[in-house]
Amino acid sequence: MPISFRNIEKRFGPKVVLDGVSLDVRDGECFFVIGQSGVGKSVLIKHLVGLLKPDAGEILLDGVDVARLDERRFYAVRKKCAMVFQNSTLFDSMTCVENVTLPLRKHKALSPTDARAEALRRLDQVHMREFADAFPAELGDGLRKRVAIARALTLDPRYVLFDEPTTSLDPVSARRVDQMIRELCDTVGVTAIVVSHDLVSIFSIADRIAMLYKGAVRMVGTPAELRATQDGVVQQFIQGRADGPMEV
Amino acid sequence: MSATGERTAPLEADVDGSREPTGLLETVGAAPLELVRDLRGLRRTLVTTLRYTFRGRRDWRAIAEQMYAIGNRSVFFLSVTMGFIGMIMIFQSGVQTKKIVPDLTLLGANYIELLVRDFAASIGAMMLATRVGAGIAAEIGSMVVTEQTDALRMCAADPIEYLVVPRFVASVLMTTVLVIWACFIAMMAGMLTANTIFDVNYWTFLNFSLVDTGDVVVCFAKCLAYGAAIPIVSAHRGLHTFGGSEGVGWATTNAVVHSSLAVIVLNFFISSAGWLIFGS
Repeated sequence: MPISFRNIEKRFGPKVVLDGVSLDVRDGECFFVIGQSGVGKSVLIKHLVGLLKPDAGEILLDGVDVARLDERRFYAVRKKCAMVFQNSTLFDSMTCVENVTLPLRKHKALSPTDARAEALRRLDQVHMREFADAFPAELGDGLRKRVAIARALTLDPRYVLFDEPTTSLDPVSARRVDQMIRELCDTVGVTAIVVSHDLVSIFSIADRIAMLYKGAVRMVGTPAELRATQDGVVQQFIQGRADGPMEV
Repeated sequence: MSATGERTAPLEADVDGSREPTGLLETVGAAPLELVRDLRGLRRTLVTTLRYTFRGRRDWRAIAEQMYAIGNRSVFFLSVTMGFIGMIMIFQSGVQTKKIVPDLTLLGANYIELLVRDFAASIGAMMLATRVGAGIAAEIGSMVVTEQTDALRMCAADPIEYLVVPRFVASVLMTTVLVIWACFIAMMAGMLTANTIFDVNYWTFLNFSLVDTGDVVVCFAKCLAYGAAIPIVSAHRGLHTFGGSEGVGWATTNAVVHSSLAVIVLNFFISSAGWLIFGS
C-alpha cells in the first residue's frame, strides 16, 4: 500500500479526535473519507503532509514513516503529495498565476520566467488561462477551486489530498470538480484522498470509502458495499437521515 | 489564560496532553508555566526571523509594500499624537517650572534632551504598537484561520520567511524613520507652545546643548529594539491564532497589549544600559 495510517491517535487538549485510526489507500484509487463534521477527517489527512503531528501511530508513505519527520524533511513529501484545501486558500495578495507559480519557485527553484510559463500551462489545463492575472477575490468559489487544483497539480504529485472540494460550490461547479478528480485518477494515475460529505460526489467518483465515527474507522468499502451494509450508523449517514443511531 | 490575564492561543505542542488545572498549586503554577512556554515560542519566532533575515532571500517588493503600510500610513496618526503630546508636555512643564523659578530659558534644552533620549522613541513606539502591531496580528491571524499559512507550508514556503521577515525588516527601518519624524514634530509643537504660552523665543527653545552622543545612541538603540519587538511579538500572536474570527480578535488584542509591554520593558533595560555606559 502506498499510504497507510496505523493506529493514529490525536488529541486537542482534552478532546480526543482520532482514537486509533488505521487505513490503507491503494495506488491510483479515488479514496473518500466521510463522516460527520468535526469527526477528524481533515485532521487525519493533514497528518500525511505534516501539517499536524500525531500523538501516536505511524503514517507510511511509500514505506517510509513520515509521522516523525521535521518540517524541512516534509518538503520532499509535499512535492509528491499535494493538498487542495477546503476554501481553496489562494493567497489574496497574489494573482492566480502568481499563486500557481509559488510552489514551482520554492520546490523546483525555477526562474520567474520559466515558473510563469509553467503556471500558465497548468492554468490552461483547468481552463483558467484567461483569469491568470486576476486576483482570487475577483473570482467565484468554483473558479478559485480550479486555480487551487492547478496549484496543487503543478508539481506533478503522485498523491493529492482534497479537503471538502465541493463544499460551497453550486451543483454544476461541484460536478466539474468531481469530474476533474476522477480524470486525475483515471488518466494521470494520481492517488486521490478526498474528504467529503457530499453524497453525490461520494457515490459518483469514489473507488472506496472509509467512514469515520467517534474517532475510529466505522467501515471501509466500495460504494456498493456501503449501500448494502446493515450498519445503522452508516446507513443513516449515507441516506442523510436526521433520525437514527448516530450520536451528534 | 496567559500570565498577563489574557487568553492566549495554544500552540499545537502546548495543548497536546494538557488538561484544566484542578488543585490550588496547579492553578497558581499554570500562569508562570504558560508565560515561560510563551516566551520560548517568542524566542523561536525571533531566532527564525533573524536567521531568514540574514541568510534567506529578501523579497524587496514585499519589504517595500510593508514599509509603505507601516511607515507612510502611520505618519498622520503619529504626527497628530506626537504634536499633541509635545504641546501637553511643554504646557505642563512650563506651568510647574514657573511655580519654582520664573526663568524658562532651559525649558527647550531639557525637553529636547528628554525627547531624544526617551519620549520620542518610547511614545512613538507605543503608538506604533497599537496601529502596526494590531495590523500584523490581524493579517497573519486571518491567514492562519483560513489555512493560508498551511498552504504556504505546502508550497515549501516557511510562513516566518514569507510573512514575518518583510514586516520585520520594514518595521526596523520605518520605526527609526518615524521616531526621527516624531521627534521633529514633538519639538516643533513644543516650540510653538512655549512661544505662544510662555513667550519663549524660538532660538532659545531650540537648544541642543544638553543632547550628547549617549542620548543619540540610546535613541537609536531604542528605535532598533522597538522596531524589531513590535513585528515579532505581533506576528507570534498572529501565527498562533486559533478559533476563527474570535481568535483573530484575541490575537489582535494580545498583540497590542504584548507589544506595548515589550516596549516598556525594553525601555527600562536600554535606558539602564545607557545610564551605565554613558552616565547621566
